[in-house]
Amino acid sequence: MRKRKRKRKMEGALWLLVVVVLAVVLAPAESAGDVKIWPMPASVSSGNKRLHLSKDFELLTQGTGYNDASGILKDGFNRMLAVVNNGHVVDGNFSDKSSLLSGLHALQYGIDESYKLMVPSPENQAYAHLEANTVFGALHGLQTFSQLCHFNYKSRVIEVHMSPWTITDQPRFSYRGLLIDTSRHYLPLPVIKNVIDSMTYAKLNTSFVPDMVVINCCSYAQKRGINVMAELDVPGHALSWRVGYPALWPSNYCQQPLDVSNEFTFQVIDGILSDFSKIFKFKFVHLGGDKVNTSCWTDTPCISKWLKKHHMNESQAYQYFVLRAQNIALSHGYEIVNWEETFNNFGNKLGRKTVVHNWLRGGVAQQVVASGLRCIVSNQDKWYLDHLDTAWQEFYMNEPFANITNSKQQKLVIGGEVCMWDEHIDGSDIEQTIWPRAAAAAERLWTPYDKLANDASEVTGRLAYFRCLLNQRGVAAAPLSGPGRVAPF
Amino acid sequence: MSPNFPKPHLKIPKILLLFFCISQIVAPGFAFELDESLTFIWPLPAEFSSGNETLSVDPSITLTVSGNGGNSVVVSEAFDRYKRVIFKRASGFSIFGKFRGRGSVYDISELTVIVHSESEELQLGVDESYSLTVAKRDAQSIVWEATIEANTVYGALRGLETFSQLCVFDYGTKSVQIYKAPWYIQDKPRFAYRGLLLDTSRHYLPTEVIKQIIESMSYAKLNVLHWHIIDEQSFPLEVPTYPNLWKGAYSKWERYTVEDAQEVVSFAKMRGINVMAEVDVPGHAESWGAGYPDLWPSSSCREPLDVSKNFTFDVISGILADIRKIFPFELFHLGGDEVNTDCWSSTPHVKKWLGDHSMTTKDAYQYFVLRAQEIAISQNWTPVNWEETFNNFAANLNPRTVVHNWLGPGVCPKVVANGFRCIFSNQGVWYLDHLDVHWDQVYTAEPLEGINDVSKQELVLGGQVCMWGETADTSAVQETIWPRAAAAAERLWSRREAISTGNITLTALPRLHYFRCLLNRRGVQAAPVTNKYARRPPRGPGSCYGQ
Repeated sequence: MRKRKRKRKMEGALWLLVVVVLAVVLAPAESAGDVKIWPMPASVSSGNKRLHLSKDFELLTQGTGYNDASGILKDGFNRMLAVVNNGHVVDGNFSDKSSLLSGLHALQYGIDESYKLMVPSPENQAYAHLEANTVFGALHGLQTFSQLCHFNYKSRVIEVHMSPWTITDQPRFSYRGLLIDTSRHYLPLPVIKNVIDSMTYAKLNTSFVPDMVVINCCSYAQKRGINVMAELDVPGHALSWRVGYPALWPSNYCQQPLDVSNEFTFQVIDGILSDFSKIFKFKFVHLGGDKVNTSCWTDTPCISKWLKKHHMNESQAYQYFVLRAQNIALSHGYEIVNWEETFNNFGNKLGRKTVVHNWLRGGVAQQVVASGLRCIVSNQDKWYLDHLDTAWQEFYMNEPFANITNSKQQKLVIGGEVCMWDEHIDGSDIEQTIWPRAAAAAERLWTPYDKLANDASEVTGRLAYFRCLLNQRGVAAAPLSGPGRVAPF
Repeated sequence: MSPNFPKPHLKIPKILLLFFCISQIVAPGFAFELDESLTFIWPLPAEFSSGNETLSVDPSITLTVSGNGGNSVVVSEAFDRYKRVIFKRASGFSIFGKFRGRGSVYDISELTVIVHSESEELQLGVDESYSLTVAKRDAQSIVWEATIEANTVYGALRGLETFSQLCVFDYGTKSVQIYKAPWYIQDKPRFAYRGLLLDTSRHYLPTEVIKQIIESMSYAKLNVLHWHIIDEQSFPLEVPTYPNLWKGAYSKWERYTVEDAQEVVSFAKMRGINVMAEVDVPGHAESWGAGYPDLWPSSSCREPLDVSKNFTFDVISGILADIRKIFPFELFHLGGDEVNTDCWSSTPHVKKWLGDHSMTTKDAYQYFVLRAQEIAISQNWTPVNWEETFNNFAANLNPRTVVHNWLGPGVCPKVVANGFRCIFSNQGVWYLDHLDVHWDQVYTAEPLEGINDVSKQELVLGGQVCMWGETADTSAVQETIWPRAAAAAERLWSRREAISTGNITLTALPRLHYFRCLLNRRGVQAAPVTNKYARRPPRGPGSCYGQ
């Protein structure tokens, strides 16, 4: 079995030296209530000084074993700089050079996506300080740093307000996903790339792309710390990809689910998963398995005969199909995600490494984890972005641990995912349907439970600020008021 | 999982089922076929001919330049830009082993761009013509060549856009191809002024977004961004001479520095697009008073600007002098629309001033507009004014005035009959915030309607679609602009007779669908073409080419 390495470890200490300059200016008192970072970090403290960034803001890495061979850190730093400068013409001349902040120093710390950011560094006031164990943790730290930076329209400099900052941060859930559906409407690559960029602003880390094989998008996402999970939804929902291979249909006029009686069906699945494994390096693959209407199997004589011969009824054949597809995926080194119908119908037969993807309703996660399987939460009443009448407040308040109190069972909830099904979405309106509501869910998935607001209205101002930040970065995030993606009044 | 996916395996009587299957197989949902007899270039070139050969284009295509203007950075940067647009997806497929073998030869590995003039001056009426040839060197040759020839760098930009539209990614070979070669294209715009208005006062648009829109304008060969920077709601622009003016911005983050505005202008120039600034006086200026309350007639009656004070004209003078350094375009828009003079007659000191000068409020409106025109002219600008100024006191307008139509049809004929120049923006068809205007109404709107005299026709500079921002912010602006602005863009670029005959549902609509999908491919949020209301999401699943 291929070992999939999800995170790239940074070996030894990583030094990010950023020539950041400078002048400390006394600013009007800004209280902790003014922390505008989204999602809210695990731990934040700030002060009331104001720092300015140098025009020659640059990244130096010294004293770290991480060599950044594929440029992930360097590219991430440059992107951070681009969104901070945001097209403005930035000046960098200051008369007061008495206290220069001229770099950023990073060390190894914590696990996975965690990071620690101090601005300025307590050891050397001329530097900011970023510690991360993986380059992907460092990317999150850079994202947070970018949200500390503000362009001052009068002095034309980039400022960090409320210094000194000490931020210790790590995600609450390891799986923080956004599903992008590309089969109901084709989404061009630049559109997907824009969505991937915007996901990094909210620290989402998994994009789930059903029915699509695009390698450019994968490496693009991976360099941004975003895993791409592919879906091969079998045996139902596979009508279109069989246009090329009509033999996969039960018959010409009864076209799905896939022909369970035909060995060729499983050969094709094997072939596709083999291709997937070369493109999608994420350890999970999604095998769908939802909403299977098996009437085509009984209506088609040769399949009906095959079922009798193997002493199967329709639901047994559905189970047979799903489990056989699971085994094929396992043989390619994948762990499997299946929609909850598979769990609802034959949960005790599913492979023990299966992750059950909830969608039909709330309350499923507790049953899944009670049975010892892992779960991703996507209950459609709260986390389906194409449900335009679901307000951002409901996205924010949807708690993956609802009714799960046992800490062992809580560990089995690996996270959640907001879903962008695109019957009514195309390249023209996907961003405003996703944002800002996906950001509300992103905070639920990132921020420690006890730091989340009990009442969503407490975070309205900060989310409105984040939505404007998305706009400033060129993302077409919709206004907060009104239903999803509505234009301003 | 999604609950809405249609299920084709319903129980249906056999005979119906047969029809159902056939319709499933030929339905556009699976394989949308383009009408190959059409030419999928938008806007349609003036003259063109094509053949029936398919060529491959080298992802490492190089640029060769000649002529006095060939070495311009405008050309080389545009070439790099278009190379990225054309080859956006044609990389990274190597793991499938389907890369063209080593030593394989592409038909087109070089693009020659010839520019005759070295001038990079971008003004109204700049020569945007070009020729584009993709053909064999001569009848005996097997070597293909692609050549753009233009008098100016801006003509070369238009040629590059057309070239990029000939280049199509082929999913079978995973390479970029040019179909229907050889191509011979001779092209030039019908109108010198092909504009889009952006309103950054009703909603602030980040400079990043303005740049995205400028980039998309270049895809449709539009060439003027009318920047309605300031209005009564907010004053986002920095004016160094009067530094309190941008206190009228919505917030301290929704502002443009002088350098930001300069950056927008130079970004636009690199794409052959002029930026026409608008400072709308005396109405639509309430936000000025946030920094200088003296500009209001009184704190309770704030519009129009106080006509009685010299300070008002000092501020206008100061603004114009400051922004003259930002906007080199010869046209400058002074607004002058929708002036409700009630505040002048109801505010005692203004009323007294009117009496002292024996002016009615209508006289004062004219006085204000004409005095502002003089300031603009003294800054070496040609004034543009909304049509109310013409409707009210045409005889006294400066003869250089360009009259900007908006209220309704039939205005430009009157304007040109009086010897003024005109820009067509009839709100019934070319206001993009009117969401109920369908693409075909935009497409068939004709700026020369009712003007038959050729010498008068020449006074119509062109036309402009207007994206007023009351109900369009960053989240909605691009899908409100596109694809309808493209319909107007073809009206303004292509030959009238080529786009005004026949059934446009067959000749133009499939091409507009195609262009809309091309915008999507390039990352532009262009909405479906045929929805009843503009900028609505698609009605259901389907191909981009059919919605």
